[in-house]
Amino acid sequence: MFSQKNLFILPTGAGVVFGILLLIMLITGINYQNSLIYLMTFVLGTVFIGAMHQTHRNLSGLTLSVARTGEGTAGDDIPFYLRLTAGKDQAVAIQVSVEDSVLEQLHIPAGATKDVVLPVPSAHRGYVRPDRIRIETRFPFGLLKAWSWLRPSSAALAYPRPLVAPEAGSQVDDGAEATAAKPVIGQDNADLRPFREGDLSQRVMWKRFARSGQMVVADWQGEQGSPHWLDFNAFPGADAELRLSYLAWLVADRVQQGARFGLNLPGEIIEPDSGLVHGERCLRALAAWGEQPPRDQDSLSYGTRKSLDAGFTGASQ
Amino acid sequence: MSVLGRFSFRQGDEGDGAMQAIPAGALLWLIGAFALLLAPQWDRLPLWLVAACAVLAVWRWLAQQGRFRLPGRWLKTGVMLVLVAVYVTTVQGRFTVDTAASFFVLAVGLKWLETRTARDFYVLFFILVYLAAVNFLFQQSIIWALITFSAIGCLLVGLQILNAPALPGHVRAGWKRLGLLLLKTLPIVILLFVFFPRMAPLWSVPLVSGQARSGISDTMRPGDISNLAQSSERAFRVTFGGENPDYRDRYWRGLILDYLDGETWRQRDNEPFRRLGRVATDGGAGSLAENEYDVLMEPTDQRWAFTLENSVAASNNVFSAGEDLFRFERPADSPIRYRMALAEASSASMLELNPVQRNRYLQLPRSGNPRARALAEAMSADLNPAQLVDALMRRFREQAYYYTLRPPAMPEDGIDALLFDEKRGFCAHYAGASTFLFRAAGIPARVVVGYQGGDPGAGGEYLIVRQYDAHAWVEVWLEGRGWVRVDPTAAIAPSRIESGLRDAVEEEGSFLENDFTSLQRYQDFAALQWVGLQLDRINYQWQRWVVGYQGQSQLDLMSRLPGGMGLKELGYLTAGIVGLALLIAGVVSGLSLKSRERRDGFGRALDSWRRICQQAGVPVRGGETPMVQAERLAQARPAVAESARTFARAVNSHYYRQQPLSQRDDDLQRLKRLLKAIQRQLRQDGQRRSTGPDK
Repeated sequence: MFSQKNLFILPTGAGVVFGILLLIMLITGINYQNSLIYLMTFVLGTVFIGAMHQTHRNLSGLTLSVARTGEGTAGDDIPFYLRLTAGKDQAVAIQVSVEDSVLEQLHIPAGATKDVVLPVPSAHRGYVRPDRIRIETRFPFGLLKAWSWLRPSSAALAYPRPLVAPEAGSQVDDGAEATAAKPVIGQDNADLRPFREGDLSQRVMWKRFARSGQMVVADWQGEQGSPHWLDFNAFPGADAELRLSYLAWLVADRVQQGARFGLNLPGEIIEPDSGLVHGERCLRALAAWGEQPPRDQDSLSYGTRKSLDAGFTGASQ
Repeated sequence: MSVLGRFSFRQGDEGDGAMQAIPAGALLWLIGAFALLLAPQWDRLPLWLVAACAVLAVWRWLAQQGRFRLPGRWLKTGVMLVLVAVYVTTVQGRFTVDTAASFFVLAVGLKWLETRTARDFYVLFFILVYLAAVNFLFQQSIIWALITFSAIGCLLVGLQILNAPALPGHVRAGWKRLGLLLLKTLPIVILLFVFFPRMAPLWSVPLVSGQARSGISDTMRPGDISNLAQSSERAFRVTFGGENPDYRDRYWRGLILDYLDGETWRQRDNEPFRRLGRVATDGGAGSLAENEYDVLMEPTDQRWAFTLENSVAASNNVFSAGEDLFRFERPADSPIRYRMALAEASSASMLELNPVQRNRYLQLPRSGNPRARALAEAMSADLNPAQLVDALMRRFREQAYYYTLRPPAMPEDGIDALLFDEKRGFCAHYAGASTFLFRAAGIPARVVVGYQGGDPGAGGEYLIVRQYDAHAWVEVWLEGRGWVRVDPTAAIAPSRIESGLRDAVEEEGSFLENDFTSLQRYQDFAALQWVGLQLDRINYQWQRWVVGYQGQSQLDLMSRLPGGMGLKELGYLTAGIVGLALLIAGVVSGLSLKSRERRDGFGRALDSWRRICQQAGVPVRGGETPMVQAERLAQARPAVAESARTFARAVNSHYYRQQPLSQRDDDLQRLKRLLKAIQRQLRQDGQRRSTGPDK
């Protein structure tokens, strides 16, 4: 909710010129002793003051929150799904912007909610969280602008930009072999461990479950380096970001083929699986690898977070 | 979701996209305002300029529609050069307020071709606002004021459309918003208008227009005043403190013509040079005394004031110029209000004409009009001056002299022709001829020019004197009596003096015969007359109380209010009003916001939740969800774990679930109950803790 505490209002350039014009008109009125010019100056002057109130009210009472953050590839615009809820008054001609990315002319009737997507440019892989989102209005006359900042607490993810991996050709062949190697699954060199949330149902030893009622999952060891594992360490000499880009390309490639693959990152292992959801999970892991999710340095930082509901939204991601 | 809210301006099929940055609606209102603002100047702008402005504005509009292109740089420069050249040739180096104003209008017109972006739109907006101010220099009647203010309204609506082009129903909403805004700020406007100190002009700026105004002039040829009789324009309006004088006594003296130059009467001495004083358009304040009268004169661009005989100045913006005449400090370039008081007849009889004056009032051309001279000699031989005057009046009355608006041309020896052959003329003919005759007979005489008459306005509160009331008469010097008014017209056409020109020329049917638009022409239509008079009354009050609200009126009003405020106090008061206005705006928006926050029960519930957490020793961290907080609270105080988690879930479900509004209240009630439960549990828990160790 935007209120006096976090709303700023100043005349625009046109507003300053308007002020000067009023002064000139006043001098004209004085010099020609013209009551009607006085009257017009006063009318326009109070319209200016009234516009201050209206511009302010146009923004105050409005609630802006980040409903959801999207994902995208580094270098592209990452969508931020924003939700604007007008208060008692309608909000007219609202502009929401981050750096050069601007949404203009948003109209929200009184009490209504409007969802918009704000593309946020991402420079590199990892968490994308704009320092602040600017919300501004110049309605009704464009002589004054009221603005405020939203410091979003939730971050979006930018996947590494995919780069064709050097051993792409051989990997594809290996992928074909991987399907041939599939029968290997189910052999005895599997470790058995209890079921954890997130385990695939195919791996559950259903026979055992029928026997004992325990959900046990077969876990295969020693498969590192095998074709259906995409490995961070498979690109000697390349730097980390490059490796991630290769891996991103490989993930996309595998998903496209409908192949089954796992991802091995230092500190994080994603079990082999297939499908879009799995692919996205891998990409997210690549994007977030080695990055700390942005945290609030201090809860009292200026801006509008304190009075916003965005904090809850962010944490629910 | 994910509908991009971005609004993109409609791109034209051709032409540059930037031009389209101005929404058509906004442009239309701007053009409309321009047309409204040109209207009050219709009679002072040259026709070609109005036409050029119309063409340029239409050009801009067609370009908006995509049917026409805006000119390129060369064409634009060409158009500009041509128009400026036309302007320069028509102006011919005269610099008056008129020419300055028309140059201003020309600049506005040219600006249309350059209006491509929102920035240009603002430039035009500013120029048009100032054009509105310039309009008020020339036209101050209530109709034109309303038109100008509605043009300002159009401009402000246009600005709203410019700033929110996609808003549905913006025109109506725009006017409504503007109307409410004006209504709300009206008290402050009124306060400012009344209390803003009316300072003296910072520098003197003459507003003399180069245009001839209709009205009497300082020369009189025989046919002059009959031209004026064709105009029903207002000359001035008078309010008397006491009873209106009789119609036949309403002689408004303006100036004296004492030098006959061939056929033309003029002033021997030009008006003495006086440094231009400051504008003083208001004279006198407070209610009128019994013997006072208040004149609101339309601009004449001349310095003379019209007064009844034996008047003295009661306001300080007129001064006596001798010979019972009054002058202003500077030409009346805008309506002027002045106040006079009727005095006892001055003791002019005590005065003697000195030889210089005597010579002046006996001056005649060396030759011409021999028959008139012969008649004068014959009459003066056996009559004393007073008898001679009577004899001449009797001659006018008894012989077949006619008072007519259509006199024949009398090119050679006009006075002879009038007196002996044609015997048809207007007041200027008879006044000139009579003065000639008196002078030829050795009686000092002079022509007086001014107005005679005046019809009551609506309700009879005041008199309206119009141009067709213009009149010329004679004053003769009689020993022992001083200057005596002699009006030959009264002898020839008594109805002119008793009831006005309309009755005097009724048979002839020549009253306002060329002025079809004048309401006065249609005397028979009572309703039309009534409407005209009511409008005039509104205008009169408007001019007296609003337009004429200047320094003196303000000080007079202030002197009636307690506190005895001067200019300085008024300045403080004005600053106070502006400050107060800002304060009220701030407080109002603050209050409305507070009440809105108060209404949002969820926010309040969350606040108390955070407070409870703090009190329970769980500091609230920014950006933390109620879920996390509940978890921490549960760890710190296991006793309330269950309620805290339930509360957090309820909050979450409220914020992340679409639910009908009707359910909100239920949700809120639930949250409140939970909060109470948590508080109760915390209290019990606290008691248990404090009593626990003791046991």
